[in-house]
Amino acid sequence: MLARAHTFTIEGLETRHVTVEVDIRPGLPAFTIVGLADAAVREARERVQAAILNSGYEFPGRRITANLAPGDVPKIGPGLDLALACAVLAASMQLPREPLESHVLFGELALDGTVRASQQGTLAVAQATLQAGLQTLVLAPERAREAGLIEGLEVAAVECLGSAVRVLGGGPADPLPKAPKANTTATDILGPDLSDVRGQHHAVRALIVAAAGAHNNLLSGPPGTGKTMLAQRIPSILPSLSRPEAIEVTRIHSIAGDLEGDLVSSRPFRAPHHSITAAGLIGGARRGWVGEVVLAHNGVLFLDELSEFARPALEALRQPLEDGRVAIVRARHSAVYPARFMLMAATNPCPCGYAGASGKCRCNEADLARHRRRLSGPLLDRIDLLVKLESEGALSADAAPLTSSRKAREQVMMARERQARRLGDEGVTVNAHMDARMLQRHVRLERRAEELLRKSQEQGLLSARGQHRVLRVARTIADLNGRERVRARDVGSALALRSEAQHAGSRAA
Amino acid sequence: MTGACGACLRRSWLLAALSAGLAYQARDRERLLELLALGDEDLVQAIGGRRRSELQERYARFTPEEVRLTADVETICRHHRGYPRALTQMSDGAPRMLYVSGTAQRLAAQGSEPAVAIVGSRRATDYGMEMARSLARGLAASGVTVAGGLSDGIAVAALAGALEAGGRTLTVMDAGLDVACPARRRTLFQRARMTGCAVAELPCGARSRNWCYTARERIVTGLAELTIVVEADESPGELLGAHVAQALGRTVAAVPGRVTSPVSRGTHALLMEGAALVRGPEDALDLLYRGNPPRSVDAAGTPKRSSTKRQSQQLEPRLQMTLEQVGAGRDTPAKLTAGSADAGEVLLALSELEAMGLLTRGDGGRYVPRESLAGRAPL
Repeated sequence: MLARAHTFTIEGLETRHVTVEVDIRPGLPAFTIVGLADAAVREARERVQAAILNSGYEFPGRRITANLAPGDVPKIGPGLDLALACAVLAASMQLPREPLESHVLFGELALDGTVRASQQGTLAVAQATLQAGLQTLVLAPERAREAGLIEGLEVAAVECLGSAVRVLGGGPADPLPKAPKANTTATDILGPDLSDVRGQHHAVRALIVAAAGAHNNLLSGPPGTGKTMLAQRIPSILPSLSRPEAIEVTRIHSIAGDLEGDLVSSRPFRAPHHSITAAGLIGGARRGWVGEVVLAHNGVLFLDELSEFARPALEALRQPLEDGRVAIVRARHSAVYPARFMLMAATNPCPCGYAGASGKCRCNEADLARHRRRLSGPLLDRIDLLVKLESEGALSADAAPLTSSRKAREQVMMARERQARRLGDEGVTVNAHMDARMLQRHVRLERRAEELLRKSQEQGLLSARGQHRVLRVARTIADLNGRERVRARDVGSALALRSEAQHAGSRAA
Repeated sequence: MTGACGACLRRSWLLAALSAGLAYQARDRERLLELLALGDEDLVQAIGGRRRSELQERYARFTPEEVRLTADVETICRHHRGYPRALTQMSDGAPRMLYVSGTAQRLAAQGSEPAVAIVGSRRATDYGMEMARSLARGLAASGVTVAGGLSDGIAVAALAGALEAGGRTLTVMDAGLDVACPARRRTLFQRARMTGCAVAELPCGARSRNWCYTARERIVTGLAELTIVVEADESPGELLGAHVAQALGRTVAAVPGRVTSPVSRGTHALLMEGAALVRGPEDALDLLYRGNPPRSVDAAGTPKRSSTKRQSQQLEPRLQMTLEQVGAGRDTPAKLTAGSADAGEVLLALSELEAMGLLTRGDGGRYVPRESLAGRAPL
């Protein structure tokens, strides 16, 4: 007897449709799975057999062959268990075959027949189910809410194999578990608040500019001045994700297996340790492995102690910073992942950390040169804002905070709305992503501003690319102040906040 | 007019051969200077040690061909007319000959001009670096030769400043001319040789040892009529230039800093001892000519106002105020914007001043004035 069931396997961020074919014929009892199954899928044999028996069904004592089609796609993970079990039951006439044609079965089985909740990539499978034109997705109740985010898809929650048989036979699905606390709404502020930051007003202002325009930025300052503290408060002033963005982010995190709750509503904030490798950062260590930049998509990637990161890892950031995506090509697979994030980096101004603080720095010229070299180059070239923190500012623990996250966030949202309105037909939504052509079109300078820019260039302070960065930031500052025209003070502030690989007046001559 | 006689070549060869012995004596600066003033035989006797007889033998057999010269290096000794006059006026301690890169002819031409040595800390602050730069820039623009080494900190800033103004420079190296320059200074060194001279006492291939710093400072200060210490702490190493200049009887001047800054301790000590106080190129020129008009400054080299100076006289009040605040130590955007209601205006002023070349950004986000306020009218 032959039976067929449908399911999906995950490959990178993509899903592939898999048809599970089970054939049972007379012969010595055996259970063979063919079709590029990985270890986890091959082990399904034992799980499926135990689950079927422990659910009170009969496991046919004949020769069983399961084929996972298409044969050239590697199948990964235990998500195929449920489909395999149902196909075996159908092939052994314990279940009608027709419903299997219109259902997608996705889930891992426990030995007692319950469907486990730990399945990764549910959202992606749900999207794929809808696209494939299949009617119903059958999965564990804990995952049903996540799949339910996709509109127009019928989701059936099943607690165990027995329930799955009942659902396939036309019966009702199991109830969903109680919903967790109501979804966080857009106005809720998440994580630590900006009002915890006392003093450092200059840095806070700069960070609001960075958040408003999604500008890549570098925090630089002696140890203990609050670089990390400030960075951690960035998510609290970023606007929440739009629905399509949220679905995209949820899908990525669902596949990566670090999803908490159902829909991600706050922007991801990824802060990998500086020992991370290039593969860890951009992905591709093994098939389907996504890196931190992909997980930071639509959010923030925070690199603390930037100068400690390995050179190859930092170099690997160039493509995502430029294109908003990573293309990973390996010997056996290739994939393109979305990776549009706001880069935040933090660093000490020199190896000992105290450069600029009078007399405290113990570094010699060679140390400083080495430190600069590590930071300089193509990466710094893509950083729009340099936020300098100083110890004097941090000392004033009784100083007043500049603003609260709520207020800052309102400012940021307003500035982003202006940007979105202006850049509506350009295919980008924030100033940081404007290219040279858009800059020309959307950044109108006042005469004095133009003059200041020209003078700075004559003085040798700005490269052509540096000028673009200054214009982007100036545009954002004008947006924050609610002005359509960019004034001299906007350009002046942007100039004071610019990052340069090497200062004209620094020690190295 | 150029070239070196055999005896003087032999002297430089001997110094290189005795380098290890001299290194032993480097801790005692007075003694080292005395040793360098000794005649050849006495020097071998004094520090030849066990190699004494071997050295004496090689000394006797020495031929000028033993001294290797690389392509662009010339020699000049005190027996030739092109030898810097300032060095011949020195007492016994002067080097007998110099290896010159950047043509000995140019060195001879520069010998008749006044020279100022700018020395100081190897780990200077941004303030010190900018002061050294602007001093050198002003002096070079006034036709004064700027002398110095190629060590980190003040010396390099001074050299860069003088080159910015397109002035004459005299760079003294502490090892053979072909090996003395560290890789990170190669570009600067090349520029210095294109327009000025680089000189060394030791033959090509000779490596630098600790005694060479003192020996170099003696040439630097010996070449200059005036030695200006820009920033130095109280360690003997940082004040080396000043002490050698004093030992040679040259005028020593110092640029004051903040009394709380450790790298200004040495300069303030010098000022207490009676060194002249220098606030900018004008003060240095006053010291150099002692009220007499420059003798040898030709039409092209007459002191001219730099373009930045002219701008500063027409500064708007708000810019002038910001500039003065930065000069007074409120030098980071955070400090400047702290009390101000309008941070944007302050940042604008900073950027405008930077675009005018009156401010520059240093380490740690500090702004540093690019020249002294000494010559500028108060608001």
